[in-house]
Amino acid sequence: MSHRSLRRLALALCLLFGAGTAQAQQTFHYPEDTRPTSLLPFFAEDMSAVRMVELIFDSLVFVNKRGDIDKGLATSWKLDDDQGGIKFVLREGVKWHDGEPFTAEDVVFTIQAAQDSKTIFNAKSKFEFIREVTAEGQYGVHIAFGRPIPDAEKRFLFKIIPKHAFTGTAISRKDKFAREPVGTGPFRLKKGGFSLRSIALEQNPDYWNASKVGEVQMQHTPDKSAQINLLQYSGVKAGVQAVIFLPPKNIPLFENSDSVVLEPYHTVSWWYMAFSHDNKSLAETPVRQAMALAIDREELLEAHLGKGDILTGPFTESSPFYNFQVEKPAVDIERAKQILEDAGWKAKGDVRMKGKSKLDFEFVMDKELASNQALFLGIQAQLKKIGVTVRPTYVDHARYRDQVFTRRKFDLTLNIWSFEEVEDVYPLFHSKGVMNFIGYNNADVDTLLDTARATKDYKKYKEMMKQLHALLAKELPYFFLWSLDIYSGVSKKVKNVYIQPFYYFTSFAEWELAP
Amino acid sequence: MNRLLALVLVAGRRLAGGLLLLVGATFLIYFTIRSAPGDAIDAITPMGTPPEVKEKLAADFGLDQEPLAGYVTWLGRSAHGDFGESLVTVTGEEVMTAALPAFRNTLLLSFAALLVCQVLATLLALVLGEPSSRQQVLTGALYFFTAAPSFVAAIFFSQALNAGIRHFVDTNGYEPPDWYPIPIDAKSIMQYVFAGLMLIAGDGLFMDMFNTVRAEISAVRNAQFIAAIRAKGASTAPHTLRNLVVPFISAFAARLPLVLGSVVIVEYFFTLDGAGYLLLEASKQRDFPIVVGLSVLFTLSIIVMNLVADVVRAAIDPREVARNG
Repeated sequence: MSHRSLRRLALALCLLFGAGTAQAQQTFHYPEDTRPTSLLPFFAEDMSAVRMVELIFDSLVFVNKRGDIDKGLATSWKLDDDQGGIKFVLREGVKWHDGEPFTAEDVVFTIQAAQDSKTIFNAKSKFEFIREVTAEGQYGVHIAFGRPIPDAEKRFLFKIIPKHAFTGTAISRKDKFAREPVGTGPFRLKKGGFSLRSIALEQNPDYWNASKVGEVQMQHTPDKSAQINLLQYSGVKAGVQAVIFLPPKNIPLFENSDSVVLEPYHTVSWWYMAFSHDNKSLAETPVRQAMALAIDREELLEAHLGKGDILTGPFTESSPFYNFQVEKPAVDIERAKQILEDAGWKAKGDVRMKGKSKLDFEFVMDKELASNQALFLGIQAQLKKIGVTVRPTYVDHARYRDQVFTRRKFDLTLNIWSFEEVEDVYPLFHSKGVMNFIGYNNADVDTLLDTARATKDYKKYKEMMKQLHALLAKELPYFFLWSLDIYSGVSKKVKNVYIQPFYYFTSFAEWELAP
Repeated sequence: MNRLLALVLVAGRRLAGGLLLLVGATFLIYFTIRSAPGDAIDAITPMGTPPEVKEKLAADFGLDQEPLAGYVTWLGRSAHGDFGESLVTVTGEEVMTAALPAFRNTLLLSFAALLVCQVLATLLALVLGEPSSRQQVLTGALYFFTAAPSFVAAIFFSQALNAGIRHFVDTNGYEPPDWYPIPIDAKSIMQYVFAGLMLIAGDGLFMDMFNTVRAEISAVRNAQFIAAIRAKGASTAPHTLRNLVVPFISAFAARLPLVLGSVVIVEYFFTLDGAGYLLLEASKQRDFPIVVGLSVLFTLSIIVMNLVADVVRAAIDPREVARNG
């Protein structure tokens, strides 16, 4: 076939399959790795749901580009004189997507529903500090705290749901609202917009800060190479305008691209290697310290995940709680060996032993974790140098949760914690913490966390968190690894892009789509 | 009359066997999923949820019974058409409300792909005729290009087509078509067309079908009765066709399970709203009502297909009836 006839064929194909109809409204398309399982804010637990909920719902306040608390559904707020509560004045004239008016009753309902013992969701502990909520007229809400809360405004980033859409405060996951959400946010669900693979939203015409984009369409595209393909070949009308997370290996593809910009953004999240303290050998601090000295985090990070910050404690470097005075110890195999010798662990062949105990551990890996096999092999090789053997168990995500978090059947594991605005590590390291799956129990850490929780003074709280950072860096309940530099790929047709840490779409109203 | 009775007998026997198969298959799937470590309750409750709260949720989701007792309950309910509700994937939605539209898409895609595959294979067999050494270059090449798993074919195909269209658009200034780049929109019919093409071109399906079809055609053409008809000077076509219907339907029915298997992954790649996609999502999240409900549909479709094949066979070929009667 000649070049010319090829051209004709392609042209015919283009004509045949409907090229040429101009789009009336600008639609912002983006792919997601996972399907949002629920659009009911309490149950929006995966990041794809968090992002979607950010477009459909509003919170009383939100964190703006500068990192300050800004007006959302509340236009002003004031802490009580004794700091035991807060009063919000609500925005007037706001309507739910179904046309009903938004009032203080909705805020009261949201909090009461979240606190109802029959409403079961992951982030329930975020509402535990509220003792009582009362409506004061149609547009005023008073919230009394059950304990002192430093930096209280930041606790009100949760989304408000409409009272009239539910029959009571006990909300089931199975509620239809999860598929037919009604919010006050800048976008509402399009008619028939909720399908298995995609969710389509349209602009909320009543919104006080109308978005410049007409429609938003999320498509579940689990295959990363397909996502990259879509972004790379994004056409005039079709394609996607952003890929939320670009894997490091795909970044060079867009570094000098004339159609795509790499947008860095923060996810308040960090990686860690957890030691199960139910394992007697790992409960010995010197063993954990020696293992930490043997693992070359920089090498692992660069080889398998790209760029990021090596961390020394349970906060990211951009956190107000990060303690920069804690030193990053360099890899030191000799010192690691010495520490083990001193603690009575003698080398016998390839592995170190003390009495009948061996430094031989089961390393449980979530198959969904990025680069999990490569990271494991790197860690295995590095630990071998000091006579520590690790054996891998790769499991799928559901099984991982069961084995590691519920049954706690593991010695070592690698994982990530992500935080919203409030970086609360109490549940992770307090001996009674609900997320302390490593069985960690240290009296000093408990005291520090309890005192911090009881303080009203944000400055003091910050200081205590820095102390905690230093203490945990020495104690090593986890080996703190790194936080990654995350990049989104965004089409150059999108202007005014600012990506909010964690929530992603907070400032989406300002994004513009060039024709 | 005897013949009709025999037909009904064949169908009845098949149906009874199919029902047994259905019960067996759903039991296996139900049991495997329920016994797999990590359940839907773990997937949706935070770490440290008190056991009594988990129990309440489990009861709400029908997960409070032991797998065996749970299966019996499930069987009883599903016999009345109540397949339960999705736990995680489409939380709270009735299983068949979520599964049926998806399954319809999958079945249509699989049937269409298989049918087109058979027609193409037949055309090629007719054109090529008896195997000869000269054809080996062509058939060899076809073997080579259709041997890759369908999802691999899909990745290569979409890359090549996207790059090709981009190049064409850039050099000529035309607007690209709506379905570009692939895979974009579940609602675009082109996604289904491409997915169907990949089903045909992948997993060795096409050449497998081609070999079967060619062998059947050759067997009928060389049969003694055809030689006899030809010797009498009558037209052989009606007899050839009549004798090919049965093997063709058998070939179609036999490959349906294979295609229904491949379609799962291909749908995932082309972002189609299909049962394969739903099945993968639901299994990942231990959403067993959806998985079992879909398995019922998959198994049923294969049983029905085989039943149809048997009845057609029995209706056309008297020997079938004699064997079964």
